[in-house]
Amino acid sequence: MTSMTMVEIGAIERELRQLWSESAEKSPDGQAVIRALTLNLIACTHDAEHADRMTDAIQQLTASHPSRAILALLQPDAPEPRLDGFVQANCLLSRRGTPQVCGEQITLDARGSAVQQVASLILALLVPDLPVVLWLSHPDPFDAPLLARLRSVVDRVMVNSQAFAQPTKELVRMAELERTVSSGGLALHTFAISDLTWASLTAWRELTAQFFDTRPLLPHLRRIDHVTITYQAPNGANNPVAGLLLAGWLASCLAWVPLEDAVSIEAAQIRFHLRRPAVGVGTGAIRLVTIDLCPVEAGIGAMPGLLALHLEALDGITASFRVERAETPGYALTTATIAGMEPISRLARCEEPSLADLLAAELRLRHRDQTFSDALRVAGLLAARLGRDI
Amino acid sequence: MSDLPNPLRHGLRIGRTPEPCTVVIFGASGDLTSRKLVPALYNLAHERRLPGGFSVVGFARRPWDDAQFRQVLLDGVNANSRSGAVEAELWASFAEGIHYQPGNFDDPSAYARLVERLAELDLRRGTGGNRVFYLATPPEAYPDIIRQLGAHGLHQSPHGGWTRIIIEKPFGRDLASAQALNQQVLAVFAEPQVYRIDHYLGKETVQNIMVFRFANGIFEPLWDRRSVDHVQITVAENLGVEDRGGYYDHSGALRDMIQNHLMQLLALVAMEPPVSYDADAVRDEKVKVLRAVRRIRPEEVATYTVRGQYDAGSLSGRPLAGYRDERGVDPASQTETYVGLKLFVENWRWAGVPFYLRSGKALPRRVSEIAIQFKTVPTMLFAETPMHDIEPNVLAIKLQPDEGITLKFGSKVPGQPQIRPVTMDFRYGTSFGVASPEAYERLLLDCMLGDSTLFTRRDEVEASWSLITPIHQGWLASPAQSFPNYEAGSWGPNSADEFMARDGRTWRRL
Repeated sequence: MTSMTMVEIGAIERELRQLWSESAEKSPDGQAVIRALTLNLIACTHDAEHADRMTDAIQQLTASHPSRAILALLQPDAPEPRLDGFVQANCLLSRRGTPQVCGEQITLDARGSAVQQVASLILALLVPDLPVVLWLSHPDPFDAPLLARLRSVVDRVMVNSQAFAQPTKELVRMAELERTVSSGGLALHTFAISDLTWASLTAWRELTAQFFDTRPLLPHLRRIDHVTITYQAPNGANNPVAGLLLAGWLASCLAWVPLEDAVSIEAAQIRFHLRRPAVGVGTGAIRLVTIDLCPVEAGIGAMPGLLALHLEALDGITASFRVERAETPGYALTTATIAGMEPISRLARCEEPSLADLLAAELRLRHRDQTFSDALRVAGLLAARLGRDI
Repeated sequence: MSDLPNPLRHGLRIGRTPEPCTVVIFGASGDLTSRKLVPALYNLAHERRLPGGFSVVGFARRPWDDAQFRQVLLDGVNANSRSGAVEAELWASFAEGIHYQPGNFDDPSAYARLVERLAELDLRRGTGGNRVFYLATPPEAYPDIIRQLGAHGLHQSPHGGWTRIIIEKPFGRDLASAQALNQQVLAVFAEPQVYRIDHYLGKETVQNIMVFRFANGIFEPLWDRRSVDHVQITVAENLGVEDRGGYYDHSGALRDMIQNHLMQLLALVAMEPPVSYDADAVRDEKVKVLRAVRRIRPEEVATYTVRGQYDAGSLSGRPLAGYRDERGVDPASQTETYVGLKLFVENWRWAGVPFYLRSGKALPRRVSEIAIQFKTVPTMLFAETPMHDIEPNVLAIKLQPDEGITLKFGSKVPGQPQIRPVTMDFRYGTSFGVASPEAYERLLLDCMLGDSTLFTRRDEVEASWSLITPIHQGWLASPAQSFPNYEAGSWGPNSADEFMARDGRTWRRL
């Protein structure tokens, strides 16, 4: 990575050209420096500390997604209007004899009323004919003025629902926006929505799905009537969005329909009632599924996140499928228990993905993630049933 | 292939996992098991690609128990896994499913014990009668193992499960022995159960040949005799025969490398687009190519082939003994360690386009690539540049190392009236930022999932041997007079360069 250079706002493109010329001249052994841009990544935050974490993630992304990254640090409450620009190259370490691959980053530090000029500046800095991704790291991203100004040019909007200030309320808004966008409600302004919290559930979804790749166990999936999702609530902060998304995923895949007003809250535990398609004998009967979201108190410093997912078929032959964090960090224990059979367990890797991993996973998607859309639709319904944040 | 409608699979970004099964490895005390197979299985577990209950049974002569076998495998994985040192917790969980069954390959009682062991695993680990038998033994043991498996009913699974058998190369020594082995195998197993493995097909870059050709519209119109001057396929090894002298001296480069790896590469480069990407559609097209290759008759070997044997020299700065001085090698050996071939695919697409294949041991670099050299422009527009300064366009598909694709084309030198070749370079490593799985990982997983696309079908093997056997017969009829004829660490015998020079061409410098 080159050091960050402060530049004139009107001369950013020229300064970048200069940066590349200098990089080529200074490259070790006179090797070529390859400027590789696969997308425009606009990253936006109000928090200077978070801007540093975003920069780290963008640099790590260069390996898989070298980009023109435009990091906008917006501090509208600052007293004096001010707009500063910086440029830097993000380069991969190269082996001797191989060219060095680099992306580039423009950082815009906007304060006070100058924040309003940022959208037009970003529009002028986008590299043509490349996808545009807007990464909003706000507690209330759907109110971000930048989203309103840029949505005509963006292909993907990325948020992190775990960081929402009002998780259930914002989750409902995200589901509504997704529905509007996917139904063409914004006319030509169609973009996909990505949620980094959803991306963090991939390993959990894989481990859960894998139980039912096995022919003898597959029939039990249709018999599931009770789900328990346990998650960590650090310092009493009960943010159920990961659990809601996981519940939404199960419900959308298995055609479970949330019942009207069928939600109960006891202490911090939330119980939803859903209707599932009937299976086996008595197909006319209504079959119910309960989903419990159970927060577990954790101390300061603990990371929010899932602790366990437990699927059970209690009616008839009892069957239980459990994925839980193992005692050793970075692993999960999966256990399938069918009445009359030996339980089958295994330990599997289930590392907490880094911010760059999550971004890379979502950037690999070329179009809307239909599975996410379906899960979000149901999660939004469940959040709406809940009606309030806990 | 079972196609389970698991509704939770939809939209997941990794493929489905196989059903719980037991992989029985015959020859489990050998090098292949600890160096390739079990590291590949461990890596699959590491990537969450194996189901709970997955089990391994090693079958070999050594009187080991489960604990000894696990320790050998652990050492092997630590030394050879691409995911680095073993993660203790993960290994402990994986190793619970590893077992060892001592026995001779022709001993019926050992197979009776194996039947009991597999039944016990079905109950205890939920493997449901699903089995993969992996023959990692010397080929002489194949008939005994296959016969015993059939005699003990192990060719079919109980409980509605599936049984598959993976057979390592060499699959025969010539056409007759390959046909005989096919008959032995198919007397016990049905063809859909048989997975003849050629690990080259498991390499990501080899799989990418089809993607490159059939997912990009710009190359296919150029992919024929109108645009292509010739094709060079190279698989070079920078090692001697090491401890395989005994085996290699009865095999040679033609049968060890050309018959399988290089013929597969040729088929992938020359094949027509299959009607679908399923196992039989792809293999049908490959067989058509192999059948279209003009056979070199024994009396034509001097025209269309060149062979060599390495003498003492040095590789990467270290001395290497001559081939005939290697352990297990006949001091008067006539076995070739280098082969060059000129083949023609006689169909509408490729008529008249030579395919040059070369493979050798003790060459300066380990490198595999396919180079498509296009015809030069018909007239020279740029008067200041002589025609002989114009290099033809070359598309090179690099299989190892530095996997990727390069395209060479001419470009004007800034400020000068000259044309200079420049290269557009795509590299897997820097473009995707993820490590490619090892070939054995992909192939073992495919077999467990019942996908035989990357395995060789009976008729492919026989078609390939039908091309190779007459060459070998021709060589037997005219023993090489000049062996050894190239120094270890060089790019092969001088006759290989003369072989190309006769056609006005040169081997690519790699």
